[in-house]
Amino acid sequence: MRKPELGLAALVLGLGIFVLAGTADVRAAGATFGLGPRFFPILVGSAMIVVGVFYVIDVLRGGRGDPEESEDVDSSARADWKTVLMVAVVFVGFALLLDLLGWIIAAALLFFGIAYALGARGLARLGAVSIALSVLTYLVFVKGLGVTLPGGLLAGVI
Amino acid sequence: MDSFGLLLDGFATALTVENLLFALLGVTLGTLVGVLPGIGPAMTVALLLPITFSVPPASAFIMFAGIYYGGMYGGSTTSILLNTPGESSSMITALEGNKMARRGRAAQALATAAIGSFVAGTIATALLVAFAPMVVDFAIAFGPEDYFALAVLAFTMCSSVLSKSLVRGLASLTLGLAIGLVGIDQQTGQARLTLGIPQLLDGIDVVIIAVGLFAVGEALYVASRMRHAPPEVVPVGRTWMGRSDWARSWKPWLRGTALGFPIGALPGGGAEVPTFLSYSIERRLAKGPAKEEYGHGAIEGVAGPEAANNASAAGTLVPLLSLGLPTSATAAIMLAAFQQYGLQPGPQLFDHNPALVWGMVASLFVGNAMLLVLNLPLAPMWARLLRIPRPYLYAGIVLFAALGAYAVNQSVVDLLILFALGALGFAMRRFGLPLAPAVIGVILGPMAEIQLRRALAIGTGDVTVLVSSPVAAVLLALSALVLLLPLIRRVRAKKQGKSPVGAP
Repeated sequence: MRKPELGLAALVLGLGIFVLAGTADVRAAGATFGLGPRFFPILVGSAMIVVGVFYVIDVLRGGRGDPEESEDVDSSARADWKTVLMVAVVFVGFALLLDLLGWIIAAALLFFGIAYALGARGLARLGAVSIALSVLTYLVFVKGLGVTLPGGLLAGVI
Repeated sequence: MDSFGLLLDGFATALTVENLLFALLGVTLGTLVGVLPGIGPAMTVALLLPITFSVPPASAFIMFAGIYYGGMYGGSTTSILLNTPGESSSMITALEGNKMARRGRAAQALATAAIGSFVAGTIATALLVAFAPMVVDFAIAFGPEDYFALAVLAFTMCSSVLSKSLVRGLASLTLGLAIGLVGIDQQTGQARLTLGIPQLLDGIDVVIIAVGLFAVGEALYVASRMRHAPPEVVPVGRTWMGRSDWARSWKPWLRGTALGFPIGALPGGGAEVPTFLSYSIERRLAKGPAKEEYGHGAIEGVAGPEAANNASAAGTLVPLLSLGLPTSATAAIMLAAFQQYGLQPGPQLFDHNPALVWGMVASLFVGNAMLLVLNLPLAPMWARLLRIPRPYLYAGIVLFAALGAYAVNQSVVDLLILFALGALGFAMRRFGLPLAPAVIGVILGPMAEIQLRRALAIGTGDVTVLVSSPVAAVLLALSALVLLLPLIRRVRAKKQGKSPVGAP
């Protein structure tokens, strides 16, 4: 039987080793042993390794976490990786293009892409909602609340 | 001045027009996010952090407290009207509440939930007024070793209580602690775990962590297993209660309050445990027609747990305000909000900022009254929100998550970190790791480190300083007990030749 949870357990274990290794070169001038900036990371890293080992053992012995219950989740369904991948691509694409395109265009594409990936149809309505929402958030947060969002291509227009 | 006099001063703060508006905004937003699936009060407060800098702290916390209470009210609407279990704190309400709704008693279920929340919230806030100053008096002599021990107890309790599996709770906690390490060490200025990325020197902002784990994680999780059937929302009529409904509700309200407040105040207590306890107690106490109705929509099973979860919200504020100790994810985010304003909850806060503390407490009474008005006659309006098409809802949640995360530093790197944390949140949901220990670890971890180093510096490296005060020794012993309990249980079960019985 495949055990996908092993990946998460290994991540905990691996991160524990990373915390120890990643702070090994941290030095503080004149810090007495036990009180320097390495002390707490050593505690956390060691705890993580211990917990990680127990977690791996638990999964190998057949232990399984119950998927979280949520209003819109069918916890008995098979994982739909295609949708997850689409959402991931849309989001990372949004992050990389945000400064270039500006909030209004990028956020409209983000909303459109994710809603489409999740199964929204009626593209004309979806497009209209996407644009309305990105323009509205820009106006409220930038003009109203003084939050900084990139203008991008439309910088001079709005 | 006694706490009653201070509370009156607090009302003077809370009842200004500006603060009344912030309270109204808070309870409305809170009800909204409580009703909407997929987002909760913790994430909402986190999202609002970057845009509250222009607001004076008292107003901001009045709004945050409104969101916290409002979320508890709104969650009940969802679990009663929607045919699916919702947020963990109102899951129990769904058991009887949804069955009542489907028998045509949705209005009564909503009414007992709203009025019960009001009664419990008001009594529990009064208890908060009475108890918080007592805890402050007790905590005024606390040294760093006591605060460290308190943090350790919060870590172990929330890891063990919120998950059926201790190892998964602890895994979540250590993930949070590790994320909290990233950035420059406050005492020595050394960079830790920054991978050479300059944007990580200041650490990962709590907004990005909370929004990533909660919002983006939830969106990815929903994407992986979306319920494709349209949500089945039970229609509501006018919300009212008959004489027998009142007679059957008031005792569960009071019992729920008595359970919710103290358990909410305990580290790791949260809202889940008291709602569950209240449900099973009401079930055991049920007599006559109520007993037969249990399992098919008994009003007691809604009244008790709903009162318990609101009372627990007030209980949570006792350790948060008087010790700086968060016992739920929302409280942890509120602690981070205090820190952003340069304030440290604890005995000093009561001394130096009485207007802030008591203004916030007074606003809880005001907010509760507002919530009753918002929820009782307007329930059918809130119920319509449940019909929002899910693709639009989750796309909107991600859009606001991206906005909030970007607004912190105007940095694209933050958006990528947000996504990575979202992926982590997805995996944690998928495999049943509770999120609250991670959030508490991120926020309380750095504070635990400071207190630990302070204590050890006072003891000049002698570790026994950590148990030098009786309070610290007791708290650390309790923490150890919490960790060892599952082991002891397993050994016992083996001796009796039975498989271990899971905790409720």
